[in-house]
Amino acid sequence: MLELQTNPRAPRAAKTVRCQAGLALMIAAVLLAPAAAFAAEAAGQQGFGADWESWKAHNSVSDLASLQRGARDFLSYCNGCHALKYMRYSRIGVDLEIPPDMVAKLLVPSGGKATDYISTPMPAADAVSWFGKEPPDLSLIARARGTDYLYQYLTTFYIDPARPTGANNLALPASAMPDVLSHLEGLKRAVFRQEQLNGTTQEVFDHFETVVPGSMTRAQFDDFVRDIVNFLDYVGEPVQAHRRALGVWVVGFLLVFTWLAWLLKKEYWKDVH
Amino acid sequence: MSVVAKPPGAPAVKTGRLRAWFYKRLPIEEFISEQLTGYYAPKNFNFWYFFGVLALFVLVLQLVTGIFLTMFYKVGAATSFDSVAYIMREVDYGWLIRYLHSTGASAFFVVIYLHMFRGLLYGSYRTPRELLWVIGMLVYFALMAEAFLGYVLPWGNMSYWAAQVIVNVFGTIPAIGPGLVEWIRGDYGIADATLNRFFALHVVAVPLALLLLVVLHLVALRRTGSNNPDGIEIKEKLGPDGKPLDGVPFHPYYTVKDTFGLGAFLVIFALVVFFAPTFGGYFLEHANFEPMNALSTPPEITPSWYLTPYYAILRGIPNQRLGALVLLLALVAYLFLPWLDRSPVKSMRYKGWVSRTFFAFFILGFLGLVYVGLHPVAPVYVLMGRICTVFYFAYFVLMPWYTRIDPVKPVPERLRFRAHA
Amino acid sequence: MADTGVITDESDADQSRRKFLLIATSATGAVGAVFAAAPFVTSWLPSERARALGVPTEFDLAKLEPGQMAITTWRKQPIYIVHRTPEMLASLNGHAALLKDPDSADSDQPPYATNAMRSRTAQHLVLIGTCTHLGCLPKAHFEPHDPEIGAYWPGGWLCPCHGSRFDLAGRVFEGSPASVNLRVPPYSLSDQKLTIGVDQA
Repeated sequence: MLELQTNPRAPRAAKTVRCQAGLALMIAAVLLAPAAAFAAEAAGQQGFGADWESWKAHNSVSDLASLQRGARDFLSYCNGCHALKYMRYSRIGVDLEIPPDMVAKLLVPSGGKATDYISTPMPAADAVSWFGKEPPDLSLIARARGTDYLYQYLTTFYIDPARPTGANNLALPASAMPDVLSHLEGLKRAVFRQEQLNGTTQEVFDHFETVVPGSMTRAQFDDFVRDIVNFLDYVGEPVQAHRRALGVWVVGFLLVFTWLAWLLKKEYWKDVH
Repeated sequence: MSVVAKPPGAPAVKTGRLRAWFYKRLPIEEFISEQLTGYYAPKNFNFWYFFGVLALFVLVLQLVTGIFLTMFYKVGAATSFDSVAYIMREVDYGWLIRYLHSTGASAFFVVIYLHMFRGLLYGSYRTPRELLWVIGMLVYFALMAEAFLGYVLPWGNMSYWAAQVIVNVFGTIPAIGPGLVEWIRGDYGIADATLNRFFALHVVAVPLALLLLVVLHLVALRRTGSNNPDGIEIKEKLGPDGKPLDGVPFHPYYTVKDTFGLGAFLVIFALVVFFAPTFGGYFLEHANFEPMNALSTPPEITPSWYLTPYYAILRGIPNQRLGALVLLLALVAYLFLPWLDRSPVKSMRYKGWVSRTFFAFFILGFLGLVYVGLHPVAPVYVLMGRICTVFYFAYFVLMPWYTRIDPVKPVPERLRFRAHA
Repeated sequence: MADTGVITDESDADQSRRKFLLIATSATGAVGAVFAAAPFVTSWLPSERARALGVPTEFDLAKLEPGQMAITTWRKQPIYIVHRTPEMLASLNGHAALLKDPDSADSDQPPYATNAMRSRTAQHLVLIGTCTHLGCLPKAHFEPHDPEIGAYWPGGWLCPCHGSRFDLAGRVFEGSPASVNLRVPPYSLSDQKLTIGVDQA
């Protein structure tokens, strides 16, 4: 903190100068703020996606409502191709506090039992012939790649006529998965710029431009993706909430024990000189 | 049961009829009086002296958690990965047993490295403790083997590729290399046969070897008595009762102190197990949450952090065969330490600036190698790795010279000890 | 004395504090050890997979002809389901003196099966097909007066392992190594659907 030197011989004058300076600064801030915000907004709109590598999922596995939406949306939009073979519907019901009748009605496919593992109706052989590879099981994807990567993956699809699926992805270039959420997010294209790297001219991603809007706004789609990623985070390790809760007790107990052991040690070591 | 130190001459323990029945048939009383209340250890043990008993605790922890994991794990290329998921999700508290075992593996190496550091710092490898040190190094080698074998068992993608890379190192041995690799694998690539035999080695063979070596290690320690931070032999100054003047009975003084040390260790251990079991991907690698895929290598193949220094040494040598040889020498070097150190004093406390400088550079080099080994091959890391390798080997190779020219300080007659209030 | 590392005289005050701390630390440690053992012991309970596979078994009674027995499983145990004819039901009377536990007082069955027929309805008998001696599968011998067994035989089961005999309500005969009647699992009926494992349909 700066300590303003005051001249003890003219305190009132110095104070007045400080007051005027402060006032001027405040007025400038008030006048310039909207301009600054506008500039930032404009820059943001032009450069949407430029910072995609720093996008974070910001999900919270303790947000049950988000997990419930994520479960519903995963089963609606992703389960058609992707299985969660280590996850049972009944477990989701218990952990996410969804009553068994709703689990049976809304989550379990017809003819199945709540205790079934979540499989996918997509036949593996057909998937290979259609997409070139089998859509991977997603039970552990959040632990293997991280939630930030998953968030970035679902939000950086763009139109690419050169690809068999018509879409490409920044987080996983040449991804075999089509842009299945385009009707929600809308369609966007990637604008590249030329850059000199290591003596050669290379195409570097610059920003996205929306071509066709989807049924969701950007904010809505953002939440939608976050819920699904949150659900996958939970699926990766369903016991994590219980693990942390138990940990508080265990560490607390151990601190008490260690403190007692410390007192005991000091008591005995009084003997030693 | 009475644990208060009694004046000499009084009976050691109060005996009841049941206790007396056992004492007559097993040497329990002798064990207590010889190994616990009658075994005198130097009174000036500091922080660095906790890690032996902590290593013993972690060994027991790994054995118990390992046994329970074996009750649920199904070895086999088709079943291993799924059975680990079964343990994590469907066995009651299976997740906790698994995390205890995986955190325990890394904890074992943290403890062992700090335990070895103590040995280097205070000259615990000097005579008459040369064999104690050598046996300890054999425990370390067995532990590295055990950790590597265990890491393959989840049959994740990193398990597979780590096995591939490390088994291939044996292929560099002249003449017998390729045949040896196929013999180790039991197949033309890392396969179900490899996994199954690694399971048998990890669960039965190496633990038995570890137990035997640890027992030998403790027997050797008991024979010579423990060293201490001043490097002075306490047995050379005995009191009128024949006990070392600068020693205290192991029980109750060190049993009580080690209980505290164990508590403090468990607090840190529990914080990791319950709040950061993957430890940022260092204790449980991210790539290992994907099933093994012979057609897809993870972007960065690195061994677990505790094996990375030797991996970094290997990678720094451009010639594969020479690299493997240098790696072997880096491990073997430890075995010669008792005979390389020609200093008139044991403990770093009384060694001069020359020894201290080489030691400091060794530690920096070792830590640097851990760091380098964790990163992919890039020119900056290769250079850093080579420099650290030089520091590492300089410590050993030049030791007979620098320990002789090193200006040492005078060693006191009696232990330096500040009473703990 | 001045030169030794350890002083061996303690005052009484030190002793009692020492004892208190020792007991406190040991007690805390013991409690901790019990809690530490709990996850390991608990891990042996039936896992989620066992519980999922142990869900109620359903059986369609319409498929079962009178006089027929079907075997299904529930919680890894064999379940005998018998569609009893009027003759089989009649055979249940008249040999109470030959039974060890005719009123099923010592045997294991739900309240609705603690009757002479040992079932909810006279027509259908549901039993756990495990001999209450040492666990073999009793074999069906439904023919009365079976020459292998004796003239008194009303029909029922004979266990091949050690010779225990049970009537058509699963009640054990005197002279059998088994001491209680065959167990009845919880079950419920709804139309022709039998659900083994739950008491309410």
